[in-house]
Amino acid sequence: MRKAKGKPSTTEKEFVFEFKAGRNHCVLKVPLQFPVQENVNDLHGRLMLLHKIPCFVEKGLKNKLLAFVERETLEDYDREAEAALQRITTGEVDINKLSNLWAKAYTETTLEHARPEEPSWDEDFANVYHDLIHSSASETLLNLEHNYYVSVSELISERDMELKKLQERQAAEMDKVMQELGKTLSDQDVNTVAAQHFEAQQVLENKWASELKQVTGIQKQEYQEWVVKLHQDLRNPNNSTITEEIKVQPGQLSEAGEMGARVFEEHRQLEESFTIHLGAQLKTMHNLRLVRANVLDFCRHRRHGSGGSVKLRRLQTAFSLYSSSLCGLVLLVDNRVNSYSGIKRDFATVSQECTDFHFSRLSEQLEVVQQVVLYARAQRSSKQQPEIPRNGSHDEKTKNVERNPSNILPGEFYITRHSNLSEVHIMFHLCVDDNVRSANLTARDPAIMGLRNILKVCCTHDITTITVPLLLVHDMSEEMTIPWCLKRAELVFKCVKGFMMEMASWDGGISRTVQFIVPQSISEEMFYQLSSMLPQIFRVSSTLTLTSKR
Amino acid sequence: MQPLTDAELGAFTFFASPLPHDVCGSNGLPLTPNSIKILGRFQILKTITHPRLCQYIDISRGKHERLVVVAEHYERSLKDLLKPVKPISSEKVLQVAYEVLEGLAFINRHGLVHRALSPHNVLLDCKGKVKLANFGLYYMTDQGADVDFPIGYPSYLAPEVIAQGVFQSTDPSLSEVPLPSGPKSDVWSLGVLLFELCAGRRILQNIEISQRLKFIITLGCMDDIVTVLAEEHGCLDAIKELPDNVLLLLRKCLTFLPSKRVTPAQLLEDTVFESISCLYTLYKSPVSLFSSSLRCAHLQLPDDINELCKVDGENFLNERSVDEVYHLWCLAGGDLEKELTNKGIIQSKPPVCTLPNFILEDGETFGQGRDRSFLLDDTTVTLSLGQLKNRLKDVGGEAYYPLLEDEQTCLPQSISNNELSAATSLPLIIRERDTEYQLTRIVLFDRLLKAYPYKKNQVWKEARVDIPPLLRGLAWAALLGIEGDIQRKYESIDKDTPIPTDRQIEVDIPRCHQYDELLSSPQGHIKFRRVLKAWVVSHPDLVYWQGLDSLCAPFLYLNFNNEALAYACMSAFIPKYLYNFFLKDNSHVIQEYLTVFSQMIAFHDPELSNHLNEIGFIPDLYAIPWFLTMFTHVFPLHKIFHLWDTLLLGNSSFPFCIGVAILQQLRDRLLANGFNECILLFSDLPEIDIERCVRESIILFCWTPKSATYRQHAQPPKPNSDSNGFGKTASFYSSEYQDLPNTDLSREPLKLSELKAEVSPRISAEDLIDLCELTGPSHFKTPVKRPKAVKTKIIAVDIRSNEDFSRGHIPGSINVPYSSVFGPDGELLQCPSTNTLSSYKSRVVVILSNITKHAAAFAAHLVKVNFLRVCVLDGGINKMKPTGLLTVPSPQI
Repeated sequence: MRKAKGKPSTTEKEFVFEFKAGRNHCVLKVPLQFPVQENVNDLHGRLMLLHKIPCFVEKGLKNKLLAFVERETLEDYDREAEAALQRITTGEVDINKLSNLWAKAYTETTLEHARPEEPSWDEDFANVYHDLIHSSASETLLNLEHNYYVSVSELISERDMELKKLQERQAAEMDKVMQELGKTLSDQDVNTVAAQHFEAQQVLENKWASELKQVTGIQKQEYQEWVVKLHQDLRNPNNSTITEEIKVQPGQLSEAGEMGARVFEEHRQLEESFTIHLGAQLKTMHNLRLVRANVLDFCRHRRHGSGGSVKLRRLQTAFSLYSSSLCGLVLLVDNRVNSYSGIKRDFATVSQECTDFHFSRLSEQLEVVQQVVLYARAQRSSKQQPEIPRNGSHDEKTKNVERNPSNILPGEFYITRHSNLSEVHIMFHLCVDDNVRSANLTARDPAIMGLRNILKVCCTHDITTITVPLLLVHDMSEEMTIPWCLKRAELVFKCVKGFMMEMASWDGGISRTVQFIVPQSISEEMFYQLSSMLPQIFRVSSTLTLTSKR
Repeated sequence: MQPLTDAELGAFTFFASPLPHDVCGSNGLPLTPNSIKILGRFQILKTITHPRLCQYIDISRGKHERLVVVAEHYERSLKDLLKPVKPISSEKVLQVAYEVLEGLAFINRHGLVHRALSPHNVLLDCKGKVKLANFGLYYMTDQGADVDFPIGYPSYLAPEVIAQGVFQSTDPSLSEVPLPSGPKSDVWSLGVLLFELCAGRRILQNIEISQRLKFIITLGCMDDIVTVLAEEHGCLDAIKELPDNVLLLLRKCLTFLPSKRVTPAQLLEDTVFESISCLYTLYKSPVSLFSSSLRCAHLQLPDDINELCKVDGENFLNERSVDEVYHLWCLAGGDLEKELTNKGIIQSKPPVCTLPNFILEDGETFGQGRDRSFLLDDTTVTLSLGQLKNRLKDVGGEAYYPLLEDEQTCLPQSISNNELSAATSLPLIIRERDTEYQLTRIVLFDRLLKAYPYKKNQVWKEARVDIPPLLRGLAWAALLGIEGDIQRKYESIDKDTPIPTDRQIEVDIPRCHQYDELLSSPQGHIKFRRVLKAWVVSHPDLVYWQGLDSLCAPFLYLNFNNEALAYACMSAFIPKYLYNFFLKDNSHVIQEYLTVFSQMIAFHDPELSNHLNEIGFIPDLYAIPWFLTMFTHVFPLHKIFHLWDTLLLGNSSFPFCIGVAILQQLRDRLLANGFNECILLFSDLPEIDIERCVRESIILFCWTPKSATYRQHAQPPKPNSDSNGFGKTASFYSSEYQDLPNTDLSREPLKLSELKAEVSPRISAEDLIDLCELTGPSHFKTPVKRPKAVKTKIIAVDIRSNEDFSRGHIPGSINVPYSSVFGPDGELLQCPSTNTLSSYKSRVVVILSNITKHAAAFAAHLVKVNFLRVCVLDGGINKMKPTGLLTVPSPQI
C-alpha cells in the first residue's frame, strides 16, 4: 500500500537494434517501460518470437538489450538521486527535519540505537513467578495463595454476616416504624428512617470495602516480596531462610462452602465437546465445547477446597499465566466503563473474592481503560476531522461519542487482566446495545465484528482458549423464543467458524479451544438442539476406529 | 550450492511490519502479511552463489511476523580488522576493496543492491577472503518497505540515500516514500569503510545520528571529501601517507554526486587495481543439470589423479553443500528460535503483559506500549554444528562417497549398513526425519542425479525405496524424463502478452493451496501465472480447465526458483497421466475414465460398488476433481508429495488404484450412509491416511490385470525415439499397457455406451495367457517381471455348456455353465459348481464365454453377490482358439 504512491513514475524509452540480414538492413525499435519490471530474458524471448528475428542475431540482441536496460536504469537512479540532493540544496526539503526523521526511525526500531529500557517491575516479577511456578516451589506458592485466599474469604463472610445483621436489624426497625405509621409517625419520619438506614448501610459497606482493599494490598505486597525472596533463595540454596513448607490453613467455611459447591455442580452439568477440522486442503484441529452455565462460573473459585480438582485448576491457571496459552472470556457489557450495575457489578464482586497478586485491582484497571478511551477518541477525532461523516448511522455514532466521549460504542471492547479467577486470565468486555435482543441480527452487526476483533487479539496475544456467549446475551428474557435462540446460535456459530478460518491465515493454524456458553435458564431440550446444530455447521472429525476389518 | 568447507551457519532475525487493520486488497481478498511477501522474495536469493558472498540458505516464519534468515556465516569480520590501533597495510586495503567490489558487481548483475554495507557485514573466511553478508536484506524487504526499521547503518549511508528519506514506521501517510537506491550507493558505503580501514578507526561514532547524517549531506559543499573526513578525525597524516592508488580509490568511492561516482563493475576495471586484479579469475557459475552446454566442459583433473583421493581430514560433512548441512542440522534437532533465544536475541515478553487496553470496532488497538522485544537486533548467531557432527560421528566415509558402479548394491557397504537397511522398513515419516538415513539418501541421490541421465535406471530403482525430500524436485524431474535445455525453451515462450485465459487464471491462483507460505506469496502468484500461461500458450490444442492450477502447485513448490523446470515437469506429467484431459471437449475422455474407474471399484470392492450404485453415488459426482488434478485439489501438499512419489513410478492406470484406496478408507462411512450424507462427506474430504492409501493402492495395483484398465483414449504409444541407450528399460509397473506392441490378442476398443453397460472390466487374452502361465507356441508380450501376487491367484471360469467345455478349454479352467448357477432373481443357487466357485473367492475370476453378453451378465451377477475381482475375457473364448492353447481333457475314468 505504502509502496504504490511512491514508485517513481514510469517512463518510456525506445530501444533500437540494428542488424544486417544478407543485404537487408533491419532496424528493430521497441518502446520499453522503465523501471523494467519483467525479466530481460523473457523480454528477449518475446521479441525474438514477435518480430521473427533470425537466430543468428539472437546473442547480439540479448547483449544489446541487457546493456541498454542496465544503462538506462542506472541513469534513472542517478537522476532521481541527484534530484533528491538538489531538493536539499534548494531548501525544498529541510535538512534538519530529514535527519531528525532518520534519527527517529533508528531510535524507534533498532536495539542498537534505542533508548535503554526502564526496568519494569511487572515483567521482572513475571519472569520470577514463571520460573517458580514451574519449579518444585509451585506447591508452596499455591498453598500460600490459598491461605491468603482463605483469609480474604473469611473477611468477606464476616462482612456479609455483618451486613446481613444490619439489614435484619433495620428491617425490624422498619417494621416497627411502619406499624406506627399514621399513628405517631408521619411519612416524613418513615423517609428519614429509611434514609438513615441507607446511610448506615453505605457507611458499613465503605468501611468493609476499604478494609478489604487494605488487606488485599498488604497481601499482594507481602506475596510479591516473598516470591522474589524465595526466588533468590532457590538460586543460592546455601543461605535459605524460608524453606519450610507452608501448610494449608484449614478453611473454616467448609460447611457453607460445600453447599455452595453442590448447587454449583448441579448447574454446570450440561456440557458437550467436539473436535473439529477446519480448512480445505490443509486441516487444523480445534476443540469446541458447548456449556450451559453462568458466565461467572468460569471466574469464581469454589469456596471450599474440596481436594484435588480445585487445586489442579488453580495450578493450571497459574502455570499458564505467563505462558503462551492463555484463557479468555467474553463478557457482554453496556457502554459505560465502570462496575456499578448488572453483570459488571457481579463480576467486580467475584474478582474481589480473592487477592490479585499480579495485576492491579479491577477498579484501577478500569480507570486506566477510561483514560485510554478518552485518548483514543481524541486521536480519532483529530484524524477524522477532514472526513465528512458518511451516512446517518455514522452521524448518530459520532453524536453519541460527542455527548460523552468516555462512553464506548457497540463492537468496541476493553480488556482486563486477572490472575485470581479460576479458569480465566483475560476478560474481554465487549460492548453491546439493545440490538442484540432483536431477532434479526446480521453478520455485519458491531457485536459480531467485536467478536472478530477479539479473536484477532487472541491470535496476536496467544490466547488459546476463549469462551464466548453463544446467544450474545447472559440472561434469557421473554422475547427469546426457541426460533430466536436457534437463529442466533446459527449466526454466531457460522460467524465464529468464518473467523476461525480467517485466523488460520493470521497465525498459521494453531489449535484452539472455543467454548460456547449458553445461559443457565435455557431448557435441556434447547441445549441438545443447539448441540446437534454444531456438528452440522462445523466439520466434526471422524472418530478413529481402531478395529477395522479391511 | 557450494560446499560448507570452513564456513558456519548463521541465523539472524527480524520482524516484518504488521499490516494495518482490516484493509483489503484490490481483489477483495485480505492482504498478504508482509512476512509472507518477504519469504517469497527471499527464495531467489538462494540461487545467488558466488565465492565473495555468503550463501543464503533458508528463511522461516515464526509467530507474530517474525522471520529468521539462515545463511553461511563466519565469525571474523572487518570489524575485527578495525580493532588494532595500527592501520592496515595498503595492499590489504586494496585486496578487501577488490573482493567487496567483486561481490557487489555480482549482485548488481542479479538486480540487487546491498545498501547495508558496514564492517560487520563484510565477513572474512579463514583464508582472509571477503564474504559479503546480508546483501539480500534490502531486496527481500522490497527496498525496506516491508519492515519498520531503516536498512543500512547511519555512518555508511550515501548522501543520496539520506536525501531520499526514510520510511515512516509510525505514520506512513505523512512522509513521502523513499525511492529505491541504485548500485552506486554501495560504492559510497565502501568508500567510508575503506577510509576507516586506512585511518584505523571508526568514523562519526561519537556524534548523534541526526548530526552524523547532516554532516554527510554537508560534505557536498566540500572539494576534497577525503581530506575533510581525515581532518575531522585527526588522522590526516595517516591518510596523507597512503599510496597514490589507494588515495585515488578513496576519492573515487567518496564522490558526492552519484552521476560522477562509478559503479562497482566499472571500479573493478579501474587502473587502481592494476597491481592485484591479475590475481583474481572471473567466477563462472556451475552449469545446471538441464542445459545445452556440456556439464564437464570445464572439468580439470589434476595431472596426478591420486591427488583427488587424498583424504584431507576426517570431516566429510564439510564437503557437503551448505543447504544439505542445514537440512541435516534441522533433522538432528536443530531449532532456530531456540538457538536465538539462548543467545538472548529473541526476548519475548509474556503475552499477558503486552495486551492492549481498548480496541475500536475497526480493530485499532490502544493502550499497548511499544514492545522492546520487537526491535531489530541484527546480530547473527552462529548455529552450533556440534550436535549434528556428534550424531554423524559413526557414519563412515563410504556413506559420503558411495560407489555407483555396482548396480546391485543400493546402499553403501559400511558398518551401519545393516541398520540402514533396517531403516528402510520403517514408516516413511520416520525415515524422512532420520538424520543418518537422510544423509545417505541425499548423498546417493545427489550423485545419481549428477550422473543423470546416464544413471536414470538407478534413479528409478532408488526412487522405489523413497525420495529424500531435499532433492525431490530434481528426482521427480528425473522420473519424468526431463532432458534438454529447458531454460531456453521456457524463455522462448511468450508469457506476457495477454490471452483470454488470463482472467480465469487470475481468479484461480489466489484460491490454490494458499495455506502454503510460498504459494501464497506475491512472488508465488507471479510464478504461478507465468508457468500456467506458458503451458497454455505452448499447448494450443489444449485449454485451461480449472484444476490445472492445483496440478501446477506441487511442481512450482518444489522448483520455486526454477520456473522452467516446473514448466517442463508439468508438460511431461500431463500427457503421461492426463492425456487429453485438457481438451476443449474432454467429455469422452473423462467419461471413459470414470467408467473404467467404476469398473475398478466393482473389481476390487463389489460390496461398496453395489452400495454406491444403489444410492446413485456415481464417480461423476465426486471423482472428476480427483483425477483431473491427480488428487492435488483434495490433499495438502505434503500428502501429495508422498502420493506422487509412488504415482510417478506407476503407469497411467495407477490413479485408479489410488481412487479405490481412498474409497476403501472411507468404506465404513460410505456403507453406512445414503446419498445426501455421501455428497456432504465428499464435498470436504475428511482426513485420509496417505501412507496407508499408498500402501493399499500398490496392493490393488498388483491385483489388477494390466489390460483391465485399458482405455481407448489413453495416450497412444510413443514412437520409439527415446530409446537412445539411456532410455529406461521398462519395468513391469511403470510400463504402459499402450506402449506394448499391439497384437490380435490385445483388447479392442469399445463404445462408451457398451463400456458403461458392463460392471466388470475386461481383460485381454494376452493377460489371461500370461497370468495363467500358459505356454503357447509364441510369446506375445514378455514383461520384465511379473507380479508374484497374481500368478497363482487367478481362476478361469468357463460358463459355456458342458459339451462346449469338453470340446476344448483352457487348461486349469473350471466349468460353471451359465444357466446352472443363478436363480431367477439373480441369487446364487446352491450346487456343486457354485461351491467350487466360492472356494476361489479371493482369486481373480476371469469369465470365459463364447457370447460376450453372457459373460458380462454372469460377471454382473457375481459382483451383485459380492464376488471379488471378477473380470471378463475380451472377445471370449473365440479369441483363444487361434492360439492353440485349448486342450481337450482326457476322458475321465
